[in-house]
Amino acid sequence: MGNYDIPVVTLAGMLDCEIVPPPKMTRRTLELGARHSPEFVCVPFKYNVGNYIEALEMGANLLFQAGGGCRFGYYGEVQEAILRDLGYEFEMVRLAGGFTVLEHYNAFKSRNSRLNMVRAVKTYRLASRQTRALDLIEDIVRKRSGFELEPGSFDRVHERFLAALATTRTISEVEQVETAHRTELEALPTEHRDDLLRVGVVGEIYVLLEPFSNFFIERELAKRGVEVHRFSTVTSMIDHAGPRKHEHLRDIIAKADPYLRYHIGAHGTESVAMTNTLMREGFDGVLHLKPFGCMPEVNAMAALQRLSREHTFPVLFISFDAQTSETGLATRLDAFCDMLRMRKRKVGMGA
Amino acid sequence: MECSQATVGFPRSLLFHKYHVLWSTFFEGLGVSTITSPPSNRAILERGIDLAVDETCLPLKVFLGHVDALRGKAEHILVPRVVTLTKQETACVKFWGAFDVARNSVPGVNLIEYNVDVANGITERAELCRLGARFSDSGRAVRRAYRDARAAHEAHGRALEREQVAALQGDGVKVLVVGHEYNLYDELLGVPLMRILREQGVSVVCSELANMRLARKLARRISTDIPWTYNKQLLGSVELYRERVDGIVYLVTFPCGPDSLMTELCIRRLPGTPAITIILDELQGEAGLKTRLESFVDLLKAAARAKAAS
Repeated sequence: MGNYDIPVVTLAGMLDCEIVPPPKMTRRTLELGARHSPEFVCVPFKYNVGNYIEALEMGANLLFQAGGGCRFGYYGEVQEAILRDLGYEFEMVRLAGGFTVLEHYNAFKSRNSRLNMVRAVKTYRLASRQTRALDLIEDIVRKRSGFELEPGSFDRVHERFLAALATTRTISEVEQVETAHRTELEALPTEHRDDLLRVGVVGEIYVLLEPFSNFFIERELAKRGVEVHRFSTVTSMIDHAGPRKHEHLRDIIAKADPYLRYHIGAHGTESVAMTNTLMREGFDGVLHLKPFGCMPEVNAMAALQRLSREHTFPVLFISFDAQTSETGLATRLDAFCDMLRMRKRKVGMGA
Repeated sequence: MECSQATVGFPRSLLFHKYHVLWSTFFEGLGVSTITSPPSNRAILERGIDLAVDETCLPLKVFLGHVDALRGKAEHILVPRVVTLTKQETACVKFWGAFDVARNSVPGVNLIEYNVDVANGITERAELCRLGARFSDSGRAVRRAYRDARAAHEAHGRALEREQVAALQGDGVKVLVVGHEYNLYDELLGVPLMRILREQGVSVVCSELANMRLARKLARRISTDIPWTYNKQLLGSVELYRERVDGIVYLVTFPCGPDSLMTELCIRRLPGTPAITIILDELQGEAGLKTRLESFVDLLKAAARAKAAS
């Protein structure tokens, strides 16, 4: 998902076997997935099936599927049945429990008897530090690349950062790579714009995190002179897992007041809480992304529509499925950004 | 006690079809008058479609129409929130959100809720008793009302199960219809489907299985991982009845995630059982449905004749 293949490959290193790096996603990935998946299962399922088929074609024979907070947690079993019916031979490890380190350790241990707890803990800490570095650097790129003076300058540093991060083997190496590229990114010249737009991106975690599945929407926004803010990352998921889960839930339900009284599933509550907060902080608008039919986010949309109506706050809702067109999306983004600029000018003149 | 003379309204949709005996016995036990919205009709559905986000699933659209139908007729409208019924399982996310969705989507109604989240220590009993305290001063009366309601609910479940067993006794073609109660017993969704099947001379068996311990045990033979309590009941009924029926109709509403995954798995795991998946959406016309069901029943009858001849 996104560039998180770097920490995932680090984790898979515990298996001491050859790792088939997941091929980059293409249209073919989605076409393969859509052909073999139930018709209206959400689009992340279809991407996953496509990813698996492509990895199996490259000779992989051990697949992993992690759990999640919604029906995602159940994908593994059905995907395994589909792939077996297609005639592939493989072993699948289904981590339906979500993020418990011990469960992961046992799954890895059962595949590689030479693994010990010390090494597992070390590897986890490295992967989690890599994730943090990745999220920190990509946050800078999101916020500033729309204003670069030299076209492509942010992307070039970003690419070099990814290549360097993939070779890190210790936490101090990760820290060095992070600091070096962070300094470099912050030194890149950017223009100052008076009509700067600040837009938050919220919604379902898969389409937020996998740029291919959202047609690189954050980059498209940056191109239109938008400072893009996103709060859901793997880092935020790690931070809010385990014992901190209940506290986090209480916190976001409070932030979603008066629109929600209860948690509405997966990241739905977060979408409402973030939008409510960003509106109060004076953001220009919010983009809400989700796969078609994603129930937690559909729950959230009822609240977001009321919020948008009551406060005339712009929220653009975008659903992704196997047929979403890139041109249609570009048109909607153009119109949304134009509308935000006009609104800003009008408010500026009125004041 | 804040509302002794009030009327409590039940939207005739979603969990009503599962818990209506529980709800009505409970509130009547407290001396509270209740009112239920009329059976689903086109106007209720149209209103639900207007109120709902486009991508909302069909039963939730119907539900919003029913909540709206009670506007001005009941001081309180009951919308439970169900998250988990045991530690290991969960309910579909629409039941987590139905209360908040209705609150945000239907203007001018006063909703009351009870919250069931057993994995986090919140039980149906505690929550219904908390709710009951708003209608009665006597804690004892509330607890008695709950106990009676629960007993009536369980007796009702067993009676429904016996009806299915009776339907299995008859001669002729038998079809198991697998679907959630809120689809099976809805006047716009499952009722026309079951009527068409019966018009073909089929005995219809519904996926009722009140004994959840048995359901879980049977469901494991088809799926080890499925996390949804209500889907376990459906899977359990498939496993319980599949040998004794001629075919299975999976009734799915657009775009239900849990059901689409469950149906996919059942069809792949049970290749020997004739099955058809009927997907209902808000544009449904009865003619297309009738054609598909008739041809399915024709196939089952032909297979039964061939079996009898050999």
